[in-house]
Amino acid sequence: MSEVVLKMEHIVKEFPGVRALDNVNFEARAGELLALMGENGAGKSTLMKVLGGVWPYPTYQGDIFIKGEKKRFYTPREAEEAGVAIIYQELNLIPELTVAENIFLDHQPTNRFGAIDWRQLHSGTQTLLDELGIRDVKPGDRVRSLAVGKQQMVEIAKALSKRASILVLDEPTSALTDKEVADLFRIIRKLKQNGVCMCYISHKMEEIKEIADRVVVLRDGKTIGDVTPITDITLDQIIARMVGRDIMDMFPGSARQRGEKILEVRNFWVDHPDWPGKKSVKNASFSAYRGEILGICGLMGSGRTTLVSAIFGACPAATHGDVLIDGKKADIRSPTDAIEHGVALLTEDRKALGLFMGQSISFNTTIASLPAISTPLTGVINAGRERALAEKQVAQLGIKAPGIDTLVGTLSGGNQQKVILGRWLNASPKIFILDEPTRGIDIGAKVEIYKLLNRLAEEGVAVIIISSELPEVLGMSDRILVMSEGAIVSEFTRGKATREAIMEFATGARRTGE
Amino acid sequence: MQQNQVLQFVKTNATLIALVVLTGALALADPTFHTARNLSNVARQVTIVGIIGVGMTMVILIAGIDLSVGSVVGVAAVVVTLLMQAGVAAWIAVPATLVVVGGLIGLWNGFWIARYRIPPFIITLGMLTIARGVALTLSGGSSVPVADPSFANLGSAYIPPVPTLVIVGVAAVLYVTRLVRSLSQSKKSGIRADVDKPAAGVIIAAAGFALAIYVFGGGDGLPVPVAIFVVIAGAAIFVLGHTRFGRRLYALGGNEEAARLSGINIHQTKVIVYVTVSILAALSGILLASRLNGASPNLGTMFELDAIAAVVIGGTSLAGGSGTIGGTIIGALIIGVLNNGMSLLGVSSFYQLIIKGLIISLAVWFDVMQKNKWAG
Repeated sequence: MSEVVLKMEHIVKEFPGVRALDNVNFEARAGELLALMGENGAGKSTLMKVLGGVWPYPTYQGDIFIKGEKKRFYTPREAEEAGVAIIYQELNLIPELTVAENIFLDHQPTNRFGAIDWRQLHSGTQTLLDELGIRDVKPGDRVRSLAVGKQQMVEIAKALSKRASILVLDEPTSALTDKEVADLFRIIRKLKQNGVCMCYISHKMEEIKEIADRVVVLRDGKTIGDVTPITDITLDQIIARMVGRDIMDMFPGSARQRGEKILEVRNFWVDHPDWPGKKSVKNASFSAYRGEILGICGLMGSGRTTLVSAIFGACPAATHGDVLIDGKKADIRSPTDAIEHGVALLTEDRKALGLFMGQSISFNTTIASLPAISTPLTGVINAGRERALAEKQVAQLGIKAPGIDTLVGTLSGGNQQKVILGRWLNASPKIFILDEPTRGIDIGAKVEIYKLLNRLAEEGVAVIIISSELPEVLGMSDRILVMSEGAIVSEFTRGKATREAIMEFATGARRTGE
Repeated sequence: MQQNQVLQFVKTNATLIALVVLTGALALADPTFHTARNLSNVARQVTIVGIIGVGMTMVILIAGIDLSVGSVVGVAAVVVTLLMQAGVAAWIAVPATLVVVGGLIGLWNGFWIARYRIPPFIITLGMLTIARGVALTLSGGSSVPVADPSFANLGSAYIPPVPTLVIVGVAAVLYVTRLVRSLSQSKKSGIRADVDKPAAGVIIAAAGFALAIYVFGGGDGLPVPVAIFVVIAGAAIFVLGHTRFGRRLYALGGNEEAARLSGINIHQTKVIVYVTVSILAALSGILLASRLNGASPNLGTMFELDAIAAVVIGGTSLAGGSGTIGGTIIGALIIGVLNNGMSLLGVSSFYQLIIKGLIISLAVWFDVMQKNKWAG
């Protein structure tokens, strides 16, 4: 067995109100690829940020050993100098510079006058590219002109130019085509031979089986089980470690009756916004019913958010296919159209996509129902009606604030989320889509939101929830759709769905239909 | 506690206090400053930048900018005088100029900004040059005299003292009834009314009415441009505070994506805003041509900077989403009083530029400080 290059011991990292990492322990060896697995929010990326010095010492507790030596990184630069290179999902290249300039950014070879030695820069780059067997990239190519897969290889070459002995790859294949993935794996195998230690974050089970040597699973910030050789564990066992068995009893029961079909989506396609020919949503067909909660699951990037925002008319990319509301074809081209058709969408990022932080609760809760609080022709706002709508939501959602004139920016996360909920409830939707309705809020507020959603369904609203938290979807939904790589790959009814089964479909480990 | 409230009042009304202090200091320093005649003059000078400032406030509220307003002033002045040269009566030439010059330039700016997301800075910078070029071309580079004598009334006539006093009186009565109504309403809905907030408002309003009576109630009366400005500002205050359109502006400037997802038609809103600011700039150009009794193609040069300065000094955030017309009026008054006072005191115009620049920088610094405190 080869030498242990990286060892992380008892790592604890806390954010206000959350323990993101809770006693993480693992080690990785030279020349191996260690797969780091876990659901969204399990702490994988936080862990790698601790390793990379993005969260510097002493903002975490625990020890990092590199080649047996205890290290404390105060800056990302120190981690880099110790041989740690991290390739994030969002690539860190400068598009306007050439491949060679990017690779040797900040450590360019210089001649005796201190100017950049271009000849050496290019030959050094060529050597690196040759070593990795990358043939179709030239040192003088501008990074902007390269496909994403090639850019990623340039990132790897850049890491190697700094003599990295530990290479972290954070979901490297999420934007790659099959051929690019094959190329990447070829390079990874080469790096293994060269003795580079790699940590590989991914959700995709097939990849892990193909490329990983050992695997370690994170769940709720803890390492679950030991580092296990991939040959000693089945995919099912990995999934079991990832999802755990404890579904908290926090989902209030509800007696509701499914009503008639209200929304039908037929053969719905959405183009990729900046990648001609590629599709973000592939041939999606599904229905939603009054009085029913429909859950949509999928990993990040599975197309679930794109699907619902396209139905809401908010997606800039072109769409094909039909959306029928109450049996009639609905031509929804903008959120304005959607609201008129009785559709509401609570977006996933409340700060960036939802709230007006510098405005009051009453402004925020009435902005999507301006016609209801104003005279049609003149557009003059009736202050009394505005106040009534705002106060109604404050009361029914239990928003804790001094008054409806309180600025939303001063509220807690849970109360902010309730303000946006209030905005959409004021619009009286028939179809209410909620994208990550409980992200980043405390348990108490979560349960209140669950109760509200149950009540809405009882009142005959068609509720659709998207969530990365599987227990939430399982606990709330009457029916669950699973998405993977832009397609709806499976559908479960209440009671038939298990976390394991959903994860198998979501990770692409199992497929039906196609 | 008491001290805290005073501090809060000072902070929220910093520009108004600056204006009062500035006015007081000038009144002490120069005996002619506080004569009704001089103050009336200041008011008339302020209207030109003030009217543009009203439009500019809307533009900056939606996190935009319009650099072309100064050139629009020039084009509008040239077009309105040329139309009259061609035999068109003033009462037709004025609205025609507003629609053609203001409307078209605004549509052009708004179209590119809304439809193709061209940065407003760039597209209006282009229009700054284009419109100035059009003004020079149309006029052949020289001044255009006014052909219709009735046109002069717009910029130079007065509403006599007695009707002026009646107007001020009516406005005061309207203000009081509204105040009483809103107080009783908040009492009815059981809210403990913030006593000091309306109290401060009443004092400011009373001072405003008293000043209006002092300045415009005697002598020649109320200058027509000032009356026009007051009507426009009043309308804008109402639109921003009490209509759907106003809500859309604050929403758009506060968080454009959230506004779009809340069902607001952001394209349409942007176009309307850029058309409005251009029409207001064209109106300023017409008023200026009327008062000067002729139009020079270079009229309005650098006005965009004074208008932006008034808006920024008035506390509207360049990041969009927060600001008021009232603030802009105060900002315009500060610039106007400062110009007038420094000229009276014989400060060289060179120093005037430096002082004005420093005040603008100070205002922006203050804005950023507030923002940082809020974010932290």
